[in-house]
Amino acid sequence: MGRYILSRVLQLLPVLWLITLIVFMIMHVLPGDPAELMLAGAEGGAITPERLRELHQEMGLDDPLVVQYLRFLGHAMIGDLGQSIRFRMPVTELILDRFASTLELAVFGLLVALLIGVPLGMLAALRQNTAIDTAAMGIAYVSASMPIYWLGLVSILIFSFILGWFPPAGGDGWQTLVLPAVTLGLVSSGLVARLIRSSMVEVLAEDYIRTSRAKGLPERLVLWRHGLKNALIPVVTMVGLQFGGMLAGAVVTETVFSRPGVGRLVVSAILAKDYPLVQGCIIFLATVYLTVNLAVDVAYAWLDPRIRYTV
Amino acid sequence: MAGPVASEALAAPVVAPASRGLRAPWVRRFLRNKGAVASLLVLLAWCVVALLGTRVVPYDPTETVDLARQPPSATYWFGTDLLGRDVFSRVLVGSQISLWLGFISVTLGAVPGVFLGLIAGYKGGWWDTVISRCMDALLAFPSILLALVVIVALGTSIENVMIAVGIATVPQYARLVRGSVLSIKQLPYVEAARVVGNRPWRIMLRHVLVNAYAPVVVLSTLQIGNAILIGSGLSFLGLGAQPPTPEWGLMSAEGREVLKRAWWISTFPGLAILTVVVACNLVGDGLRSAFDPRMRVEG
Repeated sequence: MGRYILSRVLQLLPVLWLITLIVFMIMHVLPGDPAELMLAGAEGGAITPERLRELHQEMGLDDPLVVQYLRFLGHAMIGDLGQSIRFRMPVTELILDRFASTLELAVFGLLVALLIGVPLGMLAALRQNTAIDTAAMGIAYVSASMPIYWLGLVSILIFSFILGWFPPAGGDGWQTLVLPAVTLGLVSSGLVARLIRSSMVEVLAEDYIRTSRAKGLPERLVLWRHGLKNALIPVVTMVGLQFGGMLAGAVVTETVFSRPGVGRLVVSAILAKDYPLVQGCIIFLATVYLTVNLAVDVAYAWLDPRIRYTV
Repeated sequence: MAGPVASEALAAPVVAPASRGLRAPWVRRFLRNKGAVASLLVLLAWCVVALLGTRVVPYDPTETVDLARQPPSATYWFGTDLLGRDVFSRVLVGSQISLWLGFISVTLGAVPGVFLGLIAGYKGGWWDTVISRCMDALLAFPSILLALVVIVALGTSIENVMIAVGIATVPQYARLVRGSVLSIKQLPYVEAARVVGNRPWRIMLRHVLVNAYAPVVVLSTLQIGNAILIGSGLSFLGLGAQPPTPEWGLMSAEGREVLKRAWWISTFPGLAILTVVVACNLVGDGLRSAFDPRMRVEG
């Protein structure tokens, strides 16, 4: 197990390196002088040659690209992602200030996805090929096909404006988390439900399910202990992917609900052409996503020891 | 990197049945699936609306026709927006952009993706290592993040959104095709083609690729829906279509500030997206089970 974890961590490093390279190159190789863009975006269009030269010096833009990249990589490894142009603050600090909010949203979103998706998928699998199955899968299809921003707006309309149960945006306390988490989670719940259904259908056809029924085990135990437990194994991988998807989906959700998170930070940074901040946010989110998936793969290998020998 | 276990599972040896007109077994299986057929009709209806465009709408979608923020009525079915434009006309014409975005970005993702997957799978060795590692790195990005990176590089416009979403889907095609090719190239007929002296390119295109098309078709159908979702999301954020374009995501964003007083401005464009995306998903899943029920394609 230790060797497996080590090998997975070692596989992660080149991918992380490639990500920094790709993001850095895209931000620097394409036409357009970043310093000029930044001056136009951040300082209201007052582009003087002196200021431009100054900024070039400040950002080290006159050095060869390779030197710039290595400098960036060296700083990134000790957690320094550079300075934001707009905020005049370290990018790392800006991200960490907001990450708790994004993490909270993603965790509760995932919880909502599982709380809705697992029962829905189970129900469909147990009532396979009946009207209940069709209805449950219909719900799953529709919820997986909704634009997140639209679901957010509709839920604000219904639960804030019409029913008055939750605040529409901003504010403190758990009430502000409910609508964003449900919005984010509902979209994923459709995928979870479909996966649970197909995996449960497969498991229910297994010999050991027939055996446990034949030996007179109560149906409740057959379904929960032998059925769901095995059906959940493929779901674990998906949970990791979904969690990453939620961190990214937060880009839209946070904007709709005006939540101060990393997703909203990156969108505002793009609109303000604050490239160091964009670069930092994207590398940060990709790293978190990769780390979560690594953790999930390890958990998967622990749950199902057959995996360790095939990777 | 995102689950090497899962990526191998995609490589189910799918040998698609050759098309034999309407009597091909997969066509018959597809036609028996009522949900999928109904969805296909919905998609065709949207295509007709998009092709006819401004010729079928009751009002000019970009001109003020009446007072702003009028609720839905017999005259203006979906009400009027902030500038007094007819929302119904704008939703109908908006289908042009969304469907176009779906087709273009899927093409931009599929063509290089299939090509890279074919090379990685067929050539193997060094080619495979380089291509697969790069694709893994790209897959490490959730596709909306990857699309954001491209938008940053190219600037905000609806054309760039199409390119961004296309690039973001390249690795999915590459991984899928690589998997199919790995299993197909072991088959005896490929070996036979090699033995009789065909050049590698000819084998790849004429013998391997034509038998790997089924999962590509399924993925493309599902991706059209995905692309429309991501693309309209980017437009909603202000990173895609710019006013006064009647784009569904942008229209929802425009109505956001007046949601309480004029709910119809934001809600109807979203409903339109919902019908298109649900239809794409049902058609995609219908095709998947018609081609081969065991096929695994993650849309």
